[in-house]
Amino acid sequence: MNTFVERFTTNASNGLFCGNGAVEEDEEFSDAMWGSEAGFGSLARGVPSFTVPSVSDPAAFLRLHTDDHADPNCKIKIQHGTTTLAFRFQGGVIVAVDSRATAGSYVASGTVKKVIEINPYLLGTMAGGAADCQYWETYLGMHCRLHELRNRERISVSAASKYLSNLVYGYKGMGLSMGTMICGWDKTGPAVFYVDSDGTRLKGDLFSVGSGSTFAYGVLDQGYRWDLSDEEAQELGRRSIYAAGHRDAFSGNTCNLYHVKENGWNFIGNYDISKLHYDGPGDVAGSPGHGYGYDLRVEGRSSVNAPEAAPAVAAQA
Amino acid sequence: METSFALTGKGYVIVAADTTAARSIVKMKVDEDKIKEISPHLLMAYSGEPGDTVQFAEFVERNIRLYQIRNLYPLRPSAAASWIRRSLADSLRSRSPYSVNLLVGGYDTATHEPKLYWIDYLGTQVDVPFGAHGYGSYFALSLLDRYHDPEASLEEGLATLKRCVDEVAKRLVVSPGRYKVKVVDKDGVREVEI
Amino acid sequence: MSIMEYNGGSVIAMVGKDCVAIASDLRLGNQALSISSNFQKVFPVTDRIYVGLPGLGTDVTTLRERFRYRINMYTIKEEREIEPETFAHLVSSTLYEHRFGPYFIEPVIAGLSKTPSGGVKPLIAAADLIGCLNFAKDFVVAGTASTKLLGVAEGLWEPDLEPEDLFETISQTLLNSVDRDAFSGWGAVVHVITKDSIISRTLKGRMD
Repeated sequence: MNTFVERFTTNASNGLFCGNGAVEEDEEFSDAMWGSEAGFGSLARGVPSFTVPSVSDPAAFLRLHTDDHADPNCKIKIQHGTTTLAFRFQGGVIVAVDSRATAGSYVASGTVKKVIEINPYLLGTMAGGAADCQYWETYLGMHCRLHELRNRERISVSAASKYLSNLVYGYKGMGLSMGTMICGWDKTGPAVFYVDSDGTRLKGDLFSVGSGSTFAYGVLDQGYRWDLSDEEAQELGRRSIYAAGHRDAFSGNTCNLYHVKENGWNFIGNYDISKLHYDGPGDVAGSPGHGYGYDLRVEGRSSVNAPEAAPAVAAQA
Repeated sequence: METSFALTGKGYVIVAADTTAARSIVKMKVDEDKIKEISPHLLMAYSGEPGDTVQFAEFVERNIRLYQIRNLYPLRPSAAASWIRRSLADSLRSRSPYSVNLLVGGYDTATHEPKLYWIDYLGTQVDVPFGAHGYGSYFALSLLDRYHDPEASLEEGLATLKRCVDEVAKRLVVSPGRYKVKVVDKDGVREVEI
Repeated sequence: MSIMEYNGGSVIAMVGKDCVAIASDLRLGNQALSISSNFQKVFPVTDRIYVGLPGLGTDVTTLRERFRYRINMYTIKEEREIEPETFAHLVSSTLYEHRFGPYFIEPVIAGLSKTPSGGVKPLIAAADLIGCLNFAKDFVVAGTASTKLLGVAEGLWEPDLEPEDLFETISQTLLNSVDRDAFSGWGAVVHVITKDSIISRTLKGRMD
């Protein structure tokens, strides 16, 4: 039996976990849920527990049925394809994401919330497995609150992201898939951390994650400066998500824009990417006043370079 | 990784290609010219399978030249691009297909229009205002959507190209070091520095 | 990834009252990367026949050139224009000639054939990539959004639509279907063929 199953089958004896595929009722709430375990929260009993299929290698079993690169006809298609970005600047942090969820070539949803509001000062973005991000970032939110209660001060962005990083690292190799940016404002000012399911955790000024990230970077890098005004920064975030939504088949539908400042995050707006293409963001701060679309921007402009003298010569003749 | 860009402007096409010839993990050469001047007003940037690239480019070059010798005038860019595309498409279903991606840029002396064609190794052809091949295209295309101007002067066009080159240098893991840049306009073909 | 999904794109054709309509999207992609928003997949064959060629981009161009050649040869030899039925079989045999190394295209044909009484009869057909013909009385679909198109068309189509109503039906069907397909979209084009005219319109679609 593999080590993964062993780890959980020992746990099963204390009623927290149901091994071997048998579905039992969990205890209503374990003591750990109340965060009273010597300051370790539910971690005192180890990380939260999950049922696993009763096969010798559950991770391989899961991969067999979900990995659509190896087998496009596999039964379970985990939603993927995203563009998310976050950057730090003089006026705080801008967080912008698209809202498309695809399963294969099917656009399963165009209204996904890919920014997870962990608490009024912390945002997490969602790329990769939707459920993985949602679950673990919500779970992170719980622990950030416990930290506040225990220590009478808000958790730093650094600590929160480290917490998440350590959590998902514990599941390395078991098929978790997430690429997230933990963004917020703490004692040190605006902060952005990139955390993924490999266990990578990076501090930085500017990140973009997902299948459309390269397209977002193309616009973002060229327009980015530390001393961007709030309006310019919001516009840059919006324009970058549009760029990715436009060029990447797996990104699009709408753009959700957030701005984190000293007193917490603000939701700036939800913008339809097709509307951005044809009409622009409308009457908002930093708007260029026209559509972002290439064809609209260059309408009436032509690269033809006919010599101007030609008709004059003809007239003289 | 190999990367090539091309963009049109007021009366010209700029074609740029990296200059590295790599084999396995080794850079064999750092000043390889991967843009062929296939007729007085036609440029072709090629990338792809080593060996195929130069063989195919020379095959194209000689056939386009042959047409010019026989007919006393060169093929116009659209006709040349169609012929090149068909050669690739036919090759795709042959015993040993050429794996070559192309950017064909030309100046049509009859209509005074700069033309650019994006052609891949399958023989897919599209007429575009700007195009790119290789991993660089994932960064450059969104950038060009934002900054490209069909009426840009040559200086402005080169500045936009510089943005693409810089962006790829910044973000691509194995980014090429140097690029060769050529321009085709009403006066023909010439090399420029960026 | 399937070769039929490499470049993306979809086509639909519908029958109306003494008219037919054919529509396609305008995207050409390289898997997830969109390259062009002006890649035509529907081409005129005669004044009364259009053919849509969704599938692998290179074969769209090659087959278009091949059909143009064969239609011109037919017109010269027969000294008349080809009828839709005949053209459908020409398409079918052209594809079957490549039975063991096919063109990756699923053609859609829409046309009006002449009746002995001097009227016109709508005809639509679709073929698979090796030329199995499917003549339908209502609508035919092909391309990466075919499953979505089929569902929406099933709900929206009704018999004996006038040209303007048919235009509306086919446009709504296409636009709403490609919005649920990652590999189709980026604008659309619609042609409605009637007895005395052809209405061609480019539609604004979602650009993401």
